[in-house]
Amino acid sequence: MVKVKNIALGIYIALIAFPFIYLLILSFSADWRFPELWPQYFGLRNWSRVISGETGLLSSFVLSLVISLSVATSATLTGFFISRYVNYHPKKRLWTLITYFPYVLAPVVFGACLSFYFIKVGLFGNTAGVILSQFIIAFPYALIFFSSYWGEQTREYENLVATLGGNPWTTYTKVLIPMAGPLMMICFFQTFLISWFEYGLTSIIGVGKVETLTIKVFLFIKEANFYYGAMSCCLLILPPALLIYFNKKYVFNKLI
Amino acid sequence: MSFLHIENINKAFGSDSIVKNLQLTLENNRTLSILGKSGCGKTTMLKIIAGLIKPDSGTIRLNNKTITEQPAAKRNIVYLYQEDLLFPHLTVFENIAFGLRIQKKSKDEIQDQVESMINSLELSGHKHKMPQQLSGGQRQRVSFGRAIITNPSLLLLDEPFGSLDSMTRQNMQSLFKSLAQQFHITSLFVTHDLKEALLMGDEIAYMDAGYLKVYKEKSDFMKDKSTGVLAEVEFWNGIASDLSSNFISS
Amino acid sequence: MRTKYQNIGLLFFAVLGIIPFALSFIYALLYSLGLVGVANSGFTIEHWQEILESGEFIKSFGFSAFMALIAMVFSVGIALWLTLLFHKKIQHKTISFLLYLPLALPGVVSAFFAVQILSKSGYFSRWFYQIGWIKDIQEFPDLINDDFGFGIILTFVSVVMPFFLLLFIGVFKTERIAELESLAASLGSRPNQIIRRITIPLLLHKTWPLIALYYIFLLGAYEIPLILGQESPQMLSVLIVRELKQFDLTKISEGYVVAVIYTVLVTIMTLFLFLRRKSIRIDG
Repeated sequence: MVKVKNIALGIYIALIAFPFIYLLILSFSADWRFPELWPQYFGLRNWSRVISGETGLLSSFVLSLVISLSVATSATLTGFFISRYVNYHPKKRLWTLITYFPYVLAPVVFGACLSFYFIKVGLFGNTAGVILSQFIIAFPYALIFFSSYWGEQTREYENLVATLGGNPWTTYTKVLIPMAGPLMMICFFQTFLISWFEYGLTSIIGVGKVETLTIKVFLFIKEANFYYGAMSCCLLILPPALLIYFNKKYVFNKLI
Repeated sequence: MSFLHIENINKAFGSDSIVKNLQLTLENNRTLSILGKSGCGKTTMLKIIAGLIKPDSGTIRLNNKTITEQPAAKRNIVYLYQEDLLFPHLTVFENIAFGLRIQKKSKDEIQDQVESMINSLELSGHKHKMPQQLSGGQRQRVSFGRAIITNPSLLLLDEPFGSLDSMTRQNMQSLFKSLAQQFHITSLFVTHDLKEALLMGDEIAYMDAGYLKVYKEKSDFMKDKSTGVLAEVEFWNGIASDLSSNFISS
Repeated sequence: MRTKYQNIGLLFFAVLGIIPFALSFIYALLYSLGLVGVANSGFTIEHWQEILESGEFIKSFGFSAFMALIAMVFSVGIALWLTLLFHKKIQHKTISFLLYLPLALPGVVSAFFAVQILSKSGYFSRWFYQIGWIKDIQEFPDLINDDFGFGIILTFVSVVMPFFLLLFIGVFKTERIAELESLAASLGSRPNQIIRRITIPLLLHKTWPLIALYYIFLLGAYEIPLILGQESPQMLSVLIVRELKQFDLTKISEGYVVAVIYTVLVTIMTLFLFLRRKSIRIDG
């Protein structure tokens, strides 16, 4: 029985590793035609083109980073503060329920229905528009995420600081924010990943002009340029894989 | 006029009347213990005095000033309860220093005061520890130190030892006694433990269904049937007589 | 003062959290009823009739519901099975890292990878050819863009299953299921009974809101069916976006009809999930 378990685990881990290894090999390859099992060319050619900026991947990587960092920062901060008012409100259950609607709706459909307004205010087909649209879906996530923090216990802390003579400013800067620090980190990285993985919404609001990495993967699939596609995939995988290495909680999102 | 003077405080949540016509006076440097079962309104009463809940009517005077309308932060009253609420991101030293830093005391002053408080709390050697590394009793001591060091006019204690085991509880009771003396503390001490109520208070009161009854003398408290002292005495007397008759017969 | 801040906080909540959702829904609704939009000229229910009668929407909806259902059944089933096998193993640091690694794959990458290995010229097809199981590239079965949504389901499972495996292993630990199992054993239960009566019901009881939520997510999935699906039937999100991007302007209104129906359905499901959930909480 122990043996069966070990074999099953071995197979599962091999299956997990397979896409990572395959995509990595593919990104170093060229001229890999049916029915060859190994590419004709295997080397640094593709990646050196990335470094030299030819493929546009480097700029996409930077653009994706900028978008995701902006979305994560703004969603985490606004989510943290506004969640307090929502959760201390007598109608908290109703507000939370309403927060769930945009959270469960497919972002691409949401974006498609919102695009009219984005065109109206000139946020269509540009980076600012993409950031705002991604913020709109990351914000409800952050709100729900912090709802567990603003409970009875935190309220008692606020009371305690008040009776010790602290004003709202000290309550936030010395107690509420430092105490929520680890949670804010988790929320930051999870909203970062919501943005980093986002494709549909970006394609609608960015109209293909804002070329994030996910958009690039798609473009390369359309061009049947699988080697570059694999490189984009590797770049997409890199940040979340690093995050898992540092702290699994940054990536494992079981929010409800 | 006495140091703490409370008159006609009422509080209801909806149609539920929680605190009814509260009258209370207390002199400086005294501890009033209040015996009450859970749900008798004692927590609401303390929170009203601390300024965390607004009363429907009545006045609170502390040190000859009416404070009924003052926000909690201005009252100089600290409210402590079972949960120690230590700041998890600060060391023992920083937890205790917290109130002093809010008061913008000088560095040296803070250093001196906190050090001596840590000694009074018998916590020397723990000052750089994080709260998670402390035992329940130690955490509660830090929580006391953090409150007392700010020199509050009034300390409100809501079942502060409720979550401690009986040994630690006894230690904390005597520690609090000596701290109260050393730092001239005026406090209300709420508990549901009869023995603790008798032990901790210079004066004693009984709270039931929102009504607070303050006894002039401890003996009045003991004679009152509703406080349960008599029943307790009878119980132990019974055991004592059993013991002695057994002792004689054997 | 306090109530003033409270109101400002709620105002921000409304502006950022409620209004975008409300605006998008209202716009879609008005468009679907012919009240806004270039090609529209006033109130009509023609687009709604068109959609409800055409069968395309019903087909798409049924297809989406079915794909999501099959994918969830397989994901949860396999995850449960693996949990029973592995729950003791993941203490090992490297193994634990590897079990989390699938979470680093976004849907678009999973779909790209599925194309690489499942397509007619893909990696599996090459092996089949080299081994001699197929003589020609055309003999390899359609595994992506196929009639049965095989590629979609497989990729859904590859995305969702690893998540539920980790979730179940976590619940296994926090709910002290191992202790309950030995308790049941000491009361005389057989191993099979324990698994059927204790382990699996407990795991599912603690996680059903998330299972339901993931079903809703899969229902609206976009990039995976976009890359791996076929022309018809399409999954809901793909269908909606296709209609909205049409050059035929009358089609756009029909796209909004589907968007409205989809939004209402998802909202009702969320409402149901939220009200049923009550006290169940999965803590991180």
